[in-house]
Amino acid sequence: MAALTTDGLSARPPFWRSLKFIRWSIQLVAVGLSVAIVFYLWNNLIRNMRASGISTDFSFLTQALGVNIAGSDISPGAPIWRGLLVGIKNTFALVIVGVPLLTVLGVLIGIGKLSTNWLVAKICAVYVELFRNLPPLLLVYFMFNAVILQFPAVENSWDLGFVLINQRFVAFVGFVGQPGIGMYWLVMGVTLLIAIWVWIWRTRRWEQTGEPHRRVAWSMALLGAVALLAFLILGGPIALSIPAIDGRVATGGYQGLAQYFGVLIALSMYTASHVAEITRGSILAVAKGQTEAANALALKPTQRLRHIVLPQAMRIAIPPVISQYLNFTKNTSLALAIGYAEITRITFQTIGNGHPAPQMIALLMASYLVFSLTISVLVNILNRRLQYASR
Amino acid sequence: MRFKKLIAVIAVLSMALVACTETSGSTTTQAGGGGGSTLAAIQARGTLNCGVNNAVPGFGFVDADGNYSGFDIDFCKALAAAVFGDATKVTYVPLTAQQRFTALQGREIDVLIRNTTFTATRDGSLASTFATTTFYDGQGMMVRTGEFDTIDDMADTTICVLSGTTTEVNLAIRMTGITHTAQTYENNDQLQAAFIAGTCDGWTSDKSQLAAQRSAYPESSGGPAALEILEETFSKEPLGPAVLDGDSQWAQIVNWVVLATIAAEELGVNQGNVGSFGESTNNAIRRLLGLDITTDAGTAPFDPGLGLPTDFARKVVEAVGNYGEIYDRHVGPNTPLGVPRGLNNLWTNGGLLYSPPYS
Repeated sequence: MAALTTDGLSARPPFWRSLKFIRWSIQLVAVGLSVAIVFYLWNNLIRNMRASGISTDFSFLTQALGVNIAGSDISPGAPIWRGLLVGIKNTFALVIVGVPLLTVLGVLIGIGKLSTNWLVAKICAVYVELFRNLPPLLLVYFMFNAVILQFPAVENSWDLGFVLINQRFVAFVGFVGQPGIGMYWLVMGVTLLIAIWVWIWRTRRWEQTGEPHRRVAWSMALLGAVALLAFLILGGPIALSIPAIDGRVATGGYQGLAQYFGVLIALSMYTASHVAEITRGSILAVAKGQTEAANALALKPTQRLRHIVLPQAMRIAIPPVISQYLNFTKNTSLALAIGYAEITRITFQTIGNGHPAPQMIALLMASYLVFSLTISVLVNILNRRLQYASR
Repeated sequence: MRFKKLIAVIAVLSMALVACTETSGSTTTQAGGGGGSTLAAIQARGTLNCGVNNAVPGFGFVDADGNYSGFDIDFCKALAAAVFGDATKVTYVPLTAQQRFTALQGREIDVLIRNTTFTATRDGSLASTFATTTFYDGQGMMVRTGEFDTIDDMADTTICVLSGTTTEVNLAIRMTGITHTAQTYENNDQLQAAFIAGTCDGWTSDKSQLAAQRSAYPESSGGPAALEILEETFSKEPLGPAVLDGDSQWAQIVNWVVLATIAAEELGVNQGNVGSFGESTNNAIRRLLGLDITTDAGTAPFDPGLGLPTDFARKVVEAVGNYGEIYDRHVGPNTPLGVPRGLNNLWTNGGLLYSPPYS
């Protein structure tokens, strides 16, 4: 008996019984299996493509695009990869404008839904229910066919002074550099650096002495004053370019295709309804004691919202809002329904013009992956900076 | 106990892994381009999968009840009649311009008959083989009546075009040096909506398609008279059936079914009289219809060895008629499209249709 006990204690269990080994081996087998499946499918695809005489490499990307792209001055002789870049640029143009737009809209509506004003609350609630429950493709079609196509024809564009609107495009007032523009940008660049320094200086001073910092007023006043002075001294280095209709096109200003605005507005409104719900939920999730404490300090409702509730709600809201940004990015592919030349549209066009689909689809997937991961990384950095240090 | 379970799991997984890598060799050969006879696959399936258009009246159009009709559709029916002796054994697969070659490569369809232009790239890079052209077309420009006289007048315009087609490329070539916006749409319905709303100054496509779209232009927008197709033709668009590379028997069958409709017209065989040649002494007709050939040496059947029943041409003509009948039914001057035969006439009448001898 005694011998048995000592034996059992002294002998180490075999290595394959260690928990570490078991966990690792399961992971390894899972990884190996996944790799094998992907490899098998890929291999199958390549073999079948070779057997059918379809090219399996990416050399076709240097061939001529062959077509014009609306809203771009790329020539039909340009290589395909340049066409794809135009598509990526157009997708980016939707995301970079759409994300801020939908965020502002969504947050306002989310706050509005909690308003004590009955009418405001109901309007916001109706907005959310309407847009959240409709498929985004339908909204894109509706916005384009029922709204934008009903705008006046080019010849009868709505002329709002600085903006021209018709069913083909929207033209905004633009800026044209005059002699001295380089100097002007230089001066403004230096001033911007000084303004940032002023901002930091005011902030530090406020932290040390408790005097009101007024950093916005200080830096903006500096920027504005220099901008105006330099403008006058350099004899007007920037001129306005006011768009005007000339036949069927507009001259001057910046132009955006009607299709762009159709997708932008439809998808921003759709995604804003989701962001509104996230905002509302996050505000409600802020501990009630915070609001009560703010009330006890006699803060005005706007102060309470701005300084106490929203900063805390934002921390809760950021993770779910990221996924809405990603949804927006992916949904921009719906633009192809109305012919806006974003990356999906260009990809399908290229496939239709006789170039191999598997490679093009792989490139398309890679593009969206890069878009989505970039957004995730950026917002996650923001998220980490905003979280409580203690968490 | 736990350890044994783990070993068992690992063993099963690794066996699966080995199986995966081992089977990859055998399955690929079967799925690859060289495998299997398309004809045998169709016969086993009992229906022909025909990739078609569903939005071009006169060529390939589906009505509210789901019935397909049109020039291209009749060639699907002709193929089914040739293979099965029954023109109804067709499964129509509606495809967009962009989906069509992928569908062919993926074997979702046996044949693509969807106003598809025969081009070198499609022949070379898209693993397809084109049969005899069924319709000689050319690209044109449709505008609102009276707005433009020639394409050269169309500077600063927006021209609407269907995406993923040779049309886009031809437009870019034709409009070299003329500033314009080429606005592409995914389908004809959206394009028509945009055109009616007035965002397009021009609508470019194959002339036959323009005629079809013009004929279907809604009366509320002025009907066909509100539109005109400009005189100029700026491309060659030979439209024909395409099959997947690698099965020459099936390619020959598709080719000869088209040629049989042309041969029938050349020989004066039509839907009405196809049954009346039993006593005919014209051996060209007798061969085409699969009737025994009588010579001094005696009577013998004629089989060119295409893999089809010898009387396939007779079934085809019974089902859809000869080429001229198909044309007149869907596209010809007495239809809403009203396209004259032009190049699509027999060579004897100044057209391009010519059937090699069926002998």
